[in-house]
Amino acid sequence: MGHPYIPNTREIREEMLREIGVVSIDELFADIPSKVRPKRKLKLPPAMSELEVKRHVQAMLSKNRPFTQMPSFIGGGVWPHNVPAHVRSLAQRAEFLTSYTPYQAEVSQGMLQALFEYQSLICELTGLEVANASMYDWSTALGEAALMCARVTGRRKFIVPELISLERLSVLQNYAAGPGLEVVKVGYDRSTGQLDMGELRKELGEDVAGVYVENPSYLGFLETRVDEISEAARKKGALFVVGVNPISLGLLKAPGDYGADIVVGEGQPLGNPVSFGGPTLGIFACRDDQKLIRQLPGRLVGMTTTLDGKTRGFAMVLQTREQHIRRERATSNICSNEALCAVTAAIYLTSLGPKGLRELAETCAANASYAMKRLNTIGGLKAPIFKAPHFNEFTLRCTKPKLTIEKFNAKLLEQGIQGGKPVRGEFPKLGETALLCTTELHTKGDIDRLAEAAARAVGGKG
Amino acid sequence: MNAGNYDVPEGLYYSREHEWVKLEGNLARVGVTDYAQSRLGDVVYVELPEVGKRVKQVAEAKGKEMELGAVESIKAISAIYSPLSGVVKEVNPALQERPELINTSPYAEGWICVLEPSAPEAELKQLMDAKAYAEYVKKLE
Amino acid sequence: MTYRQARWAREGCLEPLVFELSKAGRMGASLPRAPARVKIPEKLTRTSLELPELSEPQVVRHYTRLSQMNYGVDSGFYPLGSCTMKYNPKVCDELVNLDGAAHIHPYQAEETVQGALELMYRLERHLAEIAGVSRVCLHPSAGAHGELLGMLLVRAYHKSTGSKRTEVIVPDSAHGTNFASAAMAGFNVVVVPSNNRGRVDLGALREAVSNRTAALMLTNPNTLGLFEDEILEIAEAIHKVGGLLYYDGANLNGILGKARPGDMGFDIVHFNLHKTFSTPHGGGGPGAGPIGVVRKLEKFLPVPVIEYDRRRKRYYLDYNRPNSIGKIKSFYGNFGVLVKAYAYILLMGAEGLEEVSEAAVLNANYIMRKLLKVEGYELKFDTSGPCKHEVVFSAEPLKKKYGVRAHFVAKRLLDFGMHAPTYYFPPIVPEALMIEPTETETKEELDQFIEALKQIAEEARSDPEKLQAAPTATAIARLDEVKASREPILSWRMYRKLAKK
Repeated sequence: MGHPYIPNTREIREEMLREIGVVSIDELFADIPSKVRPKRKLKLPPAMSELEVKRHVQAMLSKNRPFTQMPSFIGGGVWPHNVPAHVRSLAQRAEFLTSYTPYQAEVSQGMLQALFEYQSLICELTGLEVANASMYDWSTALGEAALMCARVTGRRKFIVPELISLERLSVLQNYAAGPGLEVVKVGYDRSTGQLDMGELRKELGEDVAGVYVENPSYLGFLETRVDEISEAARKKGALFVVGVNPISLGLLKAPGDYGADIVVGEGQPLGNPVSFGGPTLGIFACRDDQKLIRQLPGRLVGMTTTLDGKTRGFAMVLQTREQHIRRERATSNICSNEALCAVTAAIYLTSLGPKGLRELAETCAANASYAMKRLNTIGGLKAPIFKAPHFNEFTLRCTKPKLTIEKFNAKLLEQGIQGGKPVRGEFPKLGETALLCTTELHTKGDIDRLAEAAARAVGGKG
Repeated sequence: MNAGNYDVPEGLYYSREHEWVKLEGNLARVGVTDYAQSRLGDVVYVELPEVGKRVKQVAEAKGKEMELGAVESIKAISAIYSPLSGVVKEVNPALQERPELINTSPYAEGWICVLEPSAPEAELKQLMDAKAYAEYVKKLE
Repeated sequence: MTYRQARWAREGCLEPLVFELSKAGRMGASLPRAPARVKIPEKLTRTSLELPELSEPQVVRHYTRLSQMNYGVDSGFYPLGSCTMKYNPKVCDELVNLDGAAHIHPYQAEETVQGALELMYRLERHLAEIAGVSRVCLHPSAGAHGELLGMLLVRAYHKSTGSKRTEVIVPDSAHGTNFASAAMAGFNVVVVPSNNRGRVDLGALREAVSNRTAALMLTNPNTLGLFEDEILEIAEAIHKVGGLLYYDGANLNGILGKARPGDMGFDIVHFNLHKTFSTPHGGGGPGAGPIGVVRKLEKFLPVPVIEYDRRRKRYYLDYNRPNSIGKIKSFYGNFGVLVKAYAYILLMGAEGLEEVSEAAVLNANYIMRKLLKVEGYELKFDTSGPCKHEVVFSAEPLKKKYGVRAHFVAKRLLDFGMHAPTYYFPPIVPEALMIEPTETETKEELDQFIEALKQIAEEARSDPEKLQAAPTATAIARLDEVKASREPILSWRMYRKLAKK
């Protein structure tokens, strides 16, 4: 029987061998030294039919409890949202899905234009003029941003807020390790969680390549003094880097409008499913400045015309920055990126438009605001722990003696609710605290259920 | 003087890496040769050295301290190696806006920078004159 | 067969940009109403947002049209060397859309994601078996990302033994990412030349190694499609000075089931799931670039690693690994891609995977032998033995005789409804055409490809000018890439700013 994906049957293969004068397939592998030829077949499960594979994988994945089956209030870097049906179906079109990087511009105008649109939409969101065609995720985009700051300024110190996701920080540190950049944490105001301006000014010398803040921050509060931070960085000749959840930009000022030189962020919520944390979409944008653009990592699609100048078209540009040309001196080693997630984001943003994105951002924030209000009335709970405006994520502290945040979450789970992400491990100073998230997926009923379950969990009244 | 299709003006000094030097008093103007620009194709960007940069004359084993920036076409990049040791005194500002000058006028408007050479007498001996360079290019073809 | 790509065009452009299609008030999605207004400090409040406004049917037509002006493996032959553009089984795509895959969160309680952890645990073990390594990390998002992780592991290893190693050796035929990844991890790159058989020059390698050598990065089969048959000697030369051997997995398709990198002496093995394990490339990504290691490097792997608690019969994420390098990506890898690769391995089984490499290698050798008889194309290295999954021809004869360069040949191929091979790579072959047919192509398709190349060689002789005007059957003719790079227009914003000027 023929193989569904290997169209040349044994007979055809025999015929091909004869045609090229080779006795057997083995002869084609004779250059592999016998010492490294395996003595046995690979130990893998026997081949299954399509139906068997489907049943097997379905059965395995059905052991998971997706958030479509229980209210879940977990975010912290990827966030659940509704993906409109047409967004998914368009992005999955085979011509997009099964193409490689658009090296041959003439047969790849579709992908190139879609990526140009993605870049353009990210520019509108962030208030900057240049965006690349994607990085792997927020954390690697941050790592690349730090390296770019160092290349542009020739300096080796990069400032981050202390209340940064530990995972993001770890990725940043690994990216910074090669060229030996020093990552310095600046503390926070105990009452608002926001960056401690005094400490920032102390650390911000003329050896600083970049200053990074997140808005909204990892723990959900807004960094309201971004214009001052931006000004302080600028004065010392450091670049100002801002990390974002792009959905918030339906409501919040564009970072470019408060002085950001580089914006990074996680583009997953723009139409990409959470999918256990990947694929994700690293956003990377910067100001229109030759000095920055020359140092930008990743692919760029540019607008041009046909050679006769008559028809507009799109092509990958400024490729001399990239690894396949500049090799060890490239601005980054990135090659494969997250192109299809970027196209998805373009379709999503085009579908929502300015009013839709604003409405969505408001819903996410309003739900968080309602959730905080409900939870804060429960004895033994405090939400949020910081006195600052929040977007769609917030902290919840369990103040009841001997009730750890993990135990609290377990009690929620018993009641069919996935609570927030415990952050005590990351910030012991914050105590029994979790990070919760709401989006448009949460109904008022979901939030009420959370509050009731939380009240039962702490043994108080809701 | 010519080497095949390539222009090789007399009176200049040439390096094996295809840079030219023109002595102007105690300064030296530097650029890339016609052969080099032709091999590169359409130049889209020129990375210029910083004024004040100290460079070393190019040698067999190449290093960053011998570089005067780079010339880029769409799909290639080529370092500009300094034909002499010295200090960069001036760079060609026109190349920022019009990198194509490297293609259209490699020996005049497309100059890269002016150096103050530190040991011209000894180092010029390492370079070729027009005749020797024309021979050298012919062999490469 | 004739070919004509779809071309949706208006005056001066193909399909307009979404910004040009926008009309105020249109909306392409329906959303729940915000339950209340929210208060944002005034100085952080957005006052303008210029996203396009389109209705859903407009969005659908726009992106459908764009997709029609894009060529994928599902459209036709895609012999892009080093990229393993094989057919991607549809069932794998379908599985990713299941609720249990698409709608689970990485920070959910472990007991609610047992299926996902089990899938990754099993995939990890299958990959370890295929490559002959002891453990695999699934985190890296792409090949180059895996390379970076590999280099960080090299650093961590040498640091732990207290030896100061600064150099990574890379052959001159290597992928550009190797150089860049080694540099990114802080190493100096030392290049070793290839010999006249197209393999690493063992003598030069032995001279290049020293107590500064941290690792050698090697692709095997290499980028010429040739198996490094002195691999055991190479491994010995590196290990003798205390260096590690890193395997670039871009070409694993050529030896699946026939040889395992671990058995060849590699200490770190990289996979491209979006090549060998058939997950689609998505126009450039997402991919997945897992990294496998030998036992002595396990402890350095990123956190968390997935373990199985036999007593409690539960999978769990282990963060308690004091020697770990930390993280190279948020979360645990491109899970959606991992699901597809896992399903693919099950579909194929051990025998199927071996059949993959057999059919892929046969297809490449078939092209090699047949094309050698066509005037205009030649091999620059060893022509006596077989190639593996790909073959690198040189179109130098066409250039010398008729001034027709490799990229013209590649562009003309597009008119035949085929994707171009990789060209001008590896750089050690002049006028290189790097052809990788993969196992999922029919003999008929290969014959047509050879015929097309023959016809192009003929056109080079008879009508080189027409050839150089190609392609003409594509949505758009050749683009002015020089202009695009001299005055880059990288966004609609930039375009509007320039238009104002």
